[in-house]
Amino acid sequence: MHRYLTYAGVFVGLVLIQVFLIDNISLGIYFHPLIYIGFLIILPLDTKPIWVLLLSALLGLVIDSMTGMGGLNVIATTATGFMRGTLLGITSGHNTSTDDSIPSLYRLTEKNLAWFIALVILLHSSIYFLLEALSLQHIFHTLLRVILSGIGAGAFVWFFVKLFIEKIFNK
Amino acid sequence: MYRLIEFIRRIYVVLLFVIIETVALYCYSHSTQYTEAKILSHAHSVTGALHSSVYGVIHFFSLRRENQNLSERVAWLENQLSLYRERNEELTATASDSLTFSQLDSLTAQNLTKYRYMTARVVANSTNRLRNYITLNRGLMHGVVPHMGVITPDGMMVGYVAACSERYSVVIPLLNADYRTSGKIVDDDHIGSIRWNGHSPYKVEMEELSKNANIEVGDEVIGSGVSHYFPSDVRIKIGYIDSYTLNESQTAYHVVIRLASDLSRLSNVILIENADFKEVTDLEESVKNGSYLRSMSIGEGAEN
Repeated sequence: MHRYLTYAGVFVGLVLIQVFLIDNISLGIYFHPLIYIGFLIILPLDTKPIWVLLLSALLGLVIDSMTGMGGLNVIATTATGFMRGTLLGITSGHNTSTDDSIPSLYRLTEKNLAWFIALVILLHSSIYFLLEALSLQHIFHTLLRVILSGIGAGAFVWFFVKLFIEKIFNK
Repeated sequence: MYRLIEFIRRIYVVLLFVIIETVALYCYSHSTQYTEAKILSHAHSVTGALHSSVYGVIHFFSLRRENQNLSERVAWLENQLSLYRERNEELTATASDSLTFSQLDSLTAQNLTKYRYMTARVVANSTNRLRNYITLNRGLMHGVVPHMGVITPDGMMVGYVAACSERYSVVIPLLNADYRTSGKIVDDDHIGSIRWNGHSPYKVEMEELSKNANIEVGDEVIGSGVSHYFPSDVRIKIGYIDSYTLNESQTAYHVVIRLASDLSRLSNVILIENADFKEVTDLEESVKNGSYLRSMSIGEGAEN
């Protein structure tokens, strides 16, 4: 029960940071880190695909309703949630422990965790920014947004996992 | 039945994913006019080729009707031409040193006019939705640009180009609830605002027409001439008055207009580009957001 509440807290916390902090500070047009996707990264490895899908849709829906993006976050987040298992398989093979733990340094090597975070954020940011632009006319600008925002989100999620999540779940 | 349930049980995550994505994409595409036009433009680029081939077959069977329309149009233009010729001869006879109509024609051909015309074929057209669109077989590579006005070959208003891909363009027509234009009754200077209420594809509504306007059922309604999309000196037909009533405050007419032609049967259209469109809209925008005031004060500062 305590663990579910912690996940709910992380969900709410990331959404609030995204909507009220990151979306409200002007960091330039190329830097818009989508850090709320960190919630999908920290979900337990053995979470059933249907729950990952529903939680990712819910996450996108909450962000959309708070930012008025009309479905863009649902599209990007649900697609990322759908691909989460595949990305985990790509980065860490199929021999990861599926006991009830988060993908942390104790279950994934530091390198695998970094790859997992990078791929999830790259996929999510690519879908989000390409659909937001809806044009290939300024593709280099869009790619620059994907890369810079992805680096920002990746750095945030990495430190979030390292500094908070591991301590909370492994204490 | 058991196998079907088993099959759905095996793929229900994928099925749910597809459903969620479809709903989200639908919501996103309808969230703003920009996304709607853009997504439809991309979708039409993909399906445009298919529509084009299907349309080719349908088009073949409607050639007889189109030939008849073209013949009528040619006859009308011939009449106009003969009138100009007669007038030209009169002018040449009365003032040999004045600018003749043939000279004027050649000057017009040398881009003295700010409007450029081109033709296009309709490859997809809807009239059964609240926000209908028309896809044309001409795009950026053919010289089509957004904000070109669109009329039928017999001069009826269709709409304006909202977005273009390389080979196709999407038109927001009169039969789109977001489309607004102005119109007036022939031989009357009062202008009203025209929009479609989403019900009948044969009728649109005109609001805010002054109660001082002299109107009768059956009167012809044309473009107001103050649009940036259409030439002011060309009569752009819209339709005929079907019925009219005074609004609740008894200050203006609410007019129902029967469209002059059936937009669901469009096959060819004429595109009109206003070369001054950007200059005029930029100027209007600068007045709206006040940037012209800043540029004026900079200019005055430089003079001082």
